[in-house]
This record gives sequence, C-alpha cells and structure tokens, in this order.
Amino acid sequence: MVLTPKPMKRILMTTAAVAALATTTLAAPGGELVAIRVRAAETIGQGRIEHAVILIENGKIATIGQDLPIDRGIRVIDARDLTVMPGLVNCWSRAGMDSQGGSGSQPQELASAELYPRDKSYEELLEFGVTTLGLYPSGQGIPGQAVAVRPHGATVGEMIVRDNAYLRVQLVSDSGSKKMLRDGFEKVDKYDEKEAKRLEKWEKDQEKKKKKKKKKKKDEDEEDEDKEEEKENGEEEDDGVYVPEEPDADVVPFMQLRSGVLTALIEIRNSAAYLHLLDAIDEEEFGWNVRVPLRNDIDLYEVAEKIGERELRLVLEPRVTLFPGTRRERNLPRELVAAGAKVAFVPRSDSIRSHETWRVDVGELVAAGFDRQLALRAMTLEPAEVLGLADRVGSLEPERDANLLFLDGDPLEASTRVVAVMLEGRLVHGEVD
Amino acid sequence: MLRITHLFLAVLFGAAPALWAAPVSPVAFDDDEEEEEAEEDEDEDEKDHWIAVVGGDVHTGTGAVLRGATVVAKNGVIEEIGWDPWFPEEAEIVDAAGYFVYPGLIAMEAAPGIVQGGGAVEEEDTHGPHGLDTQEIANHLARFATEPQPTQAAIEDSYDPFGQNLILALATGITTTVNGDAAIKLKRREIDDIVMSEGSLQSFTWSRRNPAGKRALREKFERASEYTRELREFEQTKSKDDEEKGPSDKGVDKQVLAVLGGQTRAKFTANDRTDLLSLARFAQEFDFRPVIEGCQEGWTVADELGRAGATAILTPRDTKRAREELQLETGSTIENAAILYRHGVQIAVVPGSPDVNLGGIMGRDLLALPIEVGFAVRGGLPEEAGLASVTTVPARLLGISHRVGTLEEGKDCDLIVTDGDWMHYETFVQYTVVAGKLAYDKQEEVFFSHIRPRPVVEVEETEDETEPAETPDEETEEVDDDDDDDEGENDDEAAGDDEEGADEGEDEESEDEG
Repeated sequence: MVLTPKPMKRILMTTAAVAALATTTLAAPGGELVAIRVRAAETIGQGRIEHAVILIENGKIATIGQDLPIDRGIRVIDARDLTVMPGLVNCWSRAGMDSQGGSGSQPQELASAELYPRDKSYEELLEFGVTTLGLYPSGQGIPGQAVAVRPHGATVGEMIVRDNAYLRVQLVSDSGSKKMLRDGFEKVDKYDEKEAKRLEKWEKDQEKKKKKKKKKKKDEDEEDEDKEEEKENGEEEDDGVYVPEEPDADVVPFMQLRSGVLTALIEIRNSAAYLHLLDAIDEEEFGWNVRVPLRNDIDLYEVAEKIGERELRLVLEPRVTLFPGTRRERNLPRELVAAGAKVAFVPRSDSIRSHETWRVDVGELVAAGFDRQLALRAMTLEPAEVLGLADRVGSLEPERDANLLFLDGDPLEASTRVVAVMLEGRLVHGEVD
Repeated sequence: MLRITHLFLAVLFGAAPALWAAPVSPVAFDDDEEEEEAEEDEDEDEKDHWIAVVGGDVHTGTGAVLRGATVVAKNGVIEEIGWDPWFPEEAEIVDAAGYFVYPGLIAMEAAPGIVQGGGAVEEEDTHGPHGLDTQEIANHLARFATEPQPTQAAIEDSYDPFGQNLILALATGITTTVNGDAAIKLKRREIDDIVMSEGSLQSFTWSRRNPAGKRALREKFERASEYTRELREFEQTKSKDDEEKGPSDKGVDKQVLAVLGGQTRAKFTANDRTDLLSLARFAQEFDFRPVIEGCQEGWTVADELGRAGATAILTPRDTKRAREELQLETGSTIENAAILYRHGVQIAVVPGSPDVNLGGIMGRDLLALPIEVGFAVRGGLPEEAGLASVTTVPARLLGISHRVGTLEEGKDCDLIVTDGDWMHYETFVQYTVVAGKLAYDKQEEVFFSHIRPRPVVEVEETEDETEPAETPDEETEEVDDDDDDDEGENDDEAAGDDEEGADEGEDEESEDEG
C-alpha cells in the first residue's frame, strides 16, 4: 500500500515532534511510550498501511506510519506477523442488560443506570475485539439515552466512556409515535417562549426597582444614605444576573438535540416509517442517525434514494436480505451505500456467538459486493460516529485511543483469530511478542 | 366510416378552444403554439408533474370508448383525453398502444392490511362475512361496530405506501379502497392526502331476528322525520324576526337526520328475503334510498328494492341455499345482480374476502374483484353496469364521484391499462396510474412480470408503415398505427405470449404461498 505524499509528510513531521518528546520522557525512567511493529494496519481513516509502526503514549496513539524509525530506548512490541485494526465498536447492544422497558416518552432516562460492571459478558465481548459498546435503553417510544462503555472495568465510572451517547427514538407508522417526537420539540418551544416572557418581565422589574431606589434615595435622610446605598448595591448585584428557570428533565434532551450536544438514533422498521419520520421531523433540524433491523423481507430499497440524498447513517445488521415474498437475494447495505448513505454494522444479535461471527458476517456482505474498506469502517468509525466518539475511537490516527485488535490474518476472513486486544494502551486480552 | 366521423368531430372540437383563444392574445399564431408556450412557462415556475397514457382504447366509464386515444394529466388531474393532445416533453409516458384503458377500480371493502401494511392479519379476519349464516354475520358486524373507526389523521399517519398487499391491490387495478369509513386513494411512494372522504355511509342494523332493534330504529326515523317536517313548516312560516325559536330537536338522532337529509346514506346488511322486503318498504315509507350489503335474495323482491331506490353491495359468487320447504323463491342465483339491475337497483360489487389471501380455487379475495364482477356479468348484468359496479357506483356511495369513477377532464387521473378486457380471467393489469403517477408497472414488480412478459416494442414496425409528416412526437405515431389495426395485433401478441409464460407458471404459485 502506497500512501499519498501528503499524509506521509504529516506523519513524518509528527514523528519528528514525538521523537523530540520521546527524548524528554526518556529522561524520566518508566516512560509510557510503546512502539508496535505490525505487518499491516487497517487504519480506517487512511486506508491500509503495510509494515506499519504505531507509537503509543499514555494510552493514545501518538503517531502511525509505514516503517517509521523507532528511537532507541522506546519499548517495542514486535508483531510483524500480525495485522492490527481499531477495536470494534458496537453501537447497538443490550449486552449485560435485560430487555424489559416501558413505553412512552422518557428522554431523560439513562441506560447507564442499568449498568452492572461485574457481568461476565463484557469481558467475553472484549475477547472478540469489541472495545467500545453502545448500550441503549430498552423500551418503546422514546425510552432514553444510550451510554458508550468500554467493556472492561470494575466500577460504572471506569466503564463509561460517554454517557448521553445518543437519544433512542422508536418511530412506527402511527399518530401516537409521530406526535411523541413532535411533542418533544414543542415542549422546548413552550419553554423558550415562557423564558422569553420571564426575561422580559425581569427586565421590566429591574427598571422599576431602579426607579424606586432613586425615589427612595431622594426621600430618605442624608445620614442613612451611606448605609442604605451599600445594602442596595449588594441587592443589585444579586439581581444583576438573570437566572433562567430550570427546564423540566424531559425537555433538556430535546434542547440538547437542537443545540447539537446530543444526537438521536431513530429506529424504523420499514420504508413507510421512514416517510412518516420525515413527516414528523418536518422542518426541525437536529443530528440523527437511523437504526433499521434488517429483517429478511424488508422493503427499505423503496426509500434508498431518499435516504441517500440526505447522506444518512444507518445502523444495520450485516445480512443479505430477500426481496419480499421471494427467495431472491439482495445486498441492501450495498444498495444503500450506492445511493449515498453511510452504513454502520452491528452484530446480528446480542449473543456472544454473534459477536464472534460479526467480522465474518460482514465479510459475507463483502463477498456479495460490499466495499471492503467501507465494511471495516462500518464496524469501527461509523458506529463511533453514532456514539459521538469519532474523535476518540474507531480509527488508527494520532490522538485516538489506542484500542487495537491484533489479528493473524485478514479481519474479514473466517479463519482469522483475534490474537490480542489492546484497550487504551493496555493489553487486556491475549499476548503479543 | 362511422368511426372516422367521430374522429373528425373530436379533432374539430379539440382544436376549437385554441382557435378561439388565438385572437385574444396579442401575438396570434394560427395554431396551438401559443397555448404551448403559455403552459411551458407555468412549468418552469411550479414543476408540474405531467403524465401521458398514450394510444390505448380508453373506456371512460361514461359509456364512451375512445380508440387509440391519449389521456393527459397534470398534477394528478386529467387535462385532456383525445387524439394527439399536447403534453410537455418531460411528461411521464405510459405506452398503452394495443392496450385498454379503464378508470381505476374502487374496492368498497378492503382489509386494513391493504392500507396500513405490516401484513399481520388476524386469523379471524381472513374469513369475510360472506358465505356465513346470518347469525355469524350479525356477530361479525357487532364486533366491527364496537371497534372505533380510525380517524383521518390516524389513517394518514399509519399509511404504508410500499406494502406488498398495496402493490397487489394496484396489480388488480384497485386505485381506491376504504379503511374504516374513509375512502383511501392508494398512492404509491407517498403518504400525503390519501383520505378522500369520510363517513359517507352510516351503518344501521335491520334484522327480523331483532324486532326490538327494528322498532327502535323505526321510532328514530319517525322522530327525525317529524322534526324535519316541523323544521320545514317553521322555515316557511318564519317571520323576519331571527330570534324566533325553531322546533325542539330533543330526541332526534343526528345520524338518522343526516340520512333523511341526504347528507349520508344508510347502510344495512341483509340477505334474507323477508328482511330485504321489510327494509325496502321501510325505506319507501321514510323516503330514503337504502344501501344494502349482502342482498343475496334480493332478486326475489327486486321490484320492491328498485322502487326504494336501493343500492346493493353484493358478492356475486356468494351462495345461499334455497329453503326447499317454502313455497317461495329463496336462495342465491347467478342472476341476482342482473335481476336487481333490471329493476333499477344500483349494483356495487365487493370481493368475498377483503384481504389479499387466495381462498378457494379461483380466489375469493380482494385480488379476485374483476372475476367477481365477471360472474355477475355472466349472470346477465350488462358489461357497462359491471364496470360501474366497481367504479361509479362505489364512488357515489363514498361521496367521491366528483373525483374518481370515470375518466373525464377535471377528474383525478386514476386509471388502469390492461392487456385485455378488464374482467377476463386471463387479463393482466399492465400499468396502474394513481393521482397522475405511475404506481404499478407489471414488468417492474416481481409478482407477475414473468407470466406472459410484455413484448418489447419493435421500433422498426412503426418506421415501415405510414410516415406521418406532420406529427413530431413518436408516441403519436404509434397511436395512429394502432388505430388502424390494433385488434389484429392484439391477438397475435396474446398467442405468442402464452407459449412463453407457460413454463414459468409454477414459480408464481410458490411465491404466492410465501
């Protein structure tokens, strides 16, 4: 694999910078610099790099490039017979949680409240290469917000990477469901309106107070004036800052959606629901991705063009679907990508077995014509985008977490094993060297 | 010879408006050019959607058959039907040469699964009310009566414009159906403005098994008509003083009042001769025109029903055994629809089951609607009345006859293009146009495309024959060609296609099961 000159130059430059840094850290013994030599690195962000060297510092990737020179004194992990790729990111899971949930709109609920770190399934997922897990709140309607965790750690705090990863919204074709979504934003409108009125009133009150004070000043004796003034000054300072009323808990997530702090992952089951979703969203602008469980007879191809136009990101199972009512196969993920959509793959189910075969299932789609690079991206960077963690995980680039999978072959090959897993610079499973 | 005169007249009339319009405009050209330019300007502003169904034998449903004519629609409404009409280049073209064009069919009865998709139909619902005994029908209706009717918003918010059952309904030629008491336009790929009307029919029960119910209904009608009389008297004698109080409407049933006032029509379910007779007399007494669903023994009292101005909604293939012990005409007959029709009863036809579900050898479900009508025609119903039974008559019942039911300028462009007479068992719907957009194309869907595939149009043929010097559009060339010898061509095509499709018949069956 030949890199284009531009990124090459950048890498060399960063190498130089890091090298300079390295000398300083070397001065203090026990520095946390580690260099890894591998046969190839699937960087996702910059394609495949043969004979790559990855420099890791404090659990983050400091630099990555082809055959980079490694300064003396830096610990080297020699994995020249292995391929690395970023740790897998599963953005849609209930691993270690039950499937019970209510219905209705409770956007303020957090899936992290259900997190039980001692559940055995997390360590098992880690063994199969899942280094980031998006756990969604179960239930119908708008059941709450997902949490992104590292499947490793003894406490809830140690596990959580990002609470409020996304707001889960389920949209089915009926009035109630569409209204629920619209109502969420309407509540924000109402709150904003109320606040505007309160602010206006507050400003008027301030003016009145000022006038009153002036009057008072004139009326009162000169002796008391000094004391009085001090008091009044104190009061004015208190009133000087307007404190908006705390919004209701269920309003906040929708405010965050509007401001871009939070994104939504909207679940639909067929093409009709997509049209109804567009109808419900109408003019509202916020960040949203779409989750579609790929059933065998799904008719999503009907709206592929429309989804592509918006360049939406879809969370799908890696599965070749059938044309409804027939045994005719179609590679729906490929069709959607061709139309302009982005695809994030999730294991076919939450079972350990599905995580084990996840890479192979994706490989099946590649065999059926899905682009290989996009397939790898669909297990790493795209789901990281869904979780709002694209700047931390999902690709092998400087400044990203050093979540690495060491594989003894092509990631999508059925016979390929996960030899070792590195989570934020620490080997948490297997051994290399 | 007669046809040529018709053609000539039509061309003359078609051109007439343009001729009149010409002197009005400042720069007057002597033909259609002026009109064209004006309309093209409009296009740029609003991005109109045009469709032209070119060269088919257009059965308008009004009695007229325009051979080799073209239907042009703009934004879902028919602009023009005629020979060589103008339409813009970007118009969607449906080549109907050698085919038949009919108004889209209206299914008075359809399962919610057609409109809402999902396909999760309850086991109970797969059997319609027909063919059961009256008690079962009553139970069935009672169940429906307690279910709240979905509102317009609820229907529009749950409409599935991609459902497999919807596509199959379109493949049958159905472009309008009902859900609850609302008339639904079966739009494909769109969810806007699908509800056309609501609540045009008001259901009442009338059964000799329930004398108390009959009595109560009679009382309601008596009170309502009394109130109507009082109101009319009051209106006539009313002085100019507006504050004068009208008659009390205490105890007046609003639904019955609407029936007597003609705002809605009363619908009953009755199959039994005795019920039908008493119902006909009841309707005559209170001077309203009943809609009677079932009507299996209607032929025995057809004159009374005709006098009552009844409309019958029937399933011609339903059977009811004659009661041999009675010295009376009872039971069902193939001639039921024909006899009722002869006595002035309007006929609407519904399928045996409102679902998409092949029951029985020939199918008794929604997809067998044309066959169902064919059975009535076999029993003597005129063919025109047959078409009306699934177009104009249901349109009137649903209160949407100003929009659908026939192909006329100004009406909605809901039409079907078939490769034979629409009722024939061998006929396939080739294209279905809903709201001026192509909603179904046989060759583009998996269901029937492999059975007698549509022959590829040979371009050579059109070039060899007459070379029209005047007409610039290729489409219109084909129109002219087919106009000359379309029937001969049809036969040839049909024969050739049979052979091709024969070996693939099995595939189709297995698909239906899945």
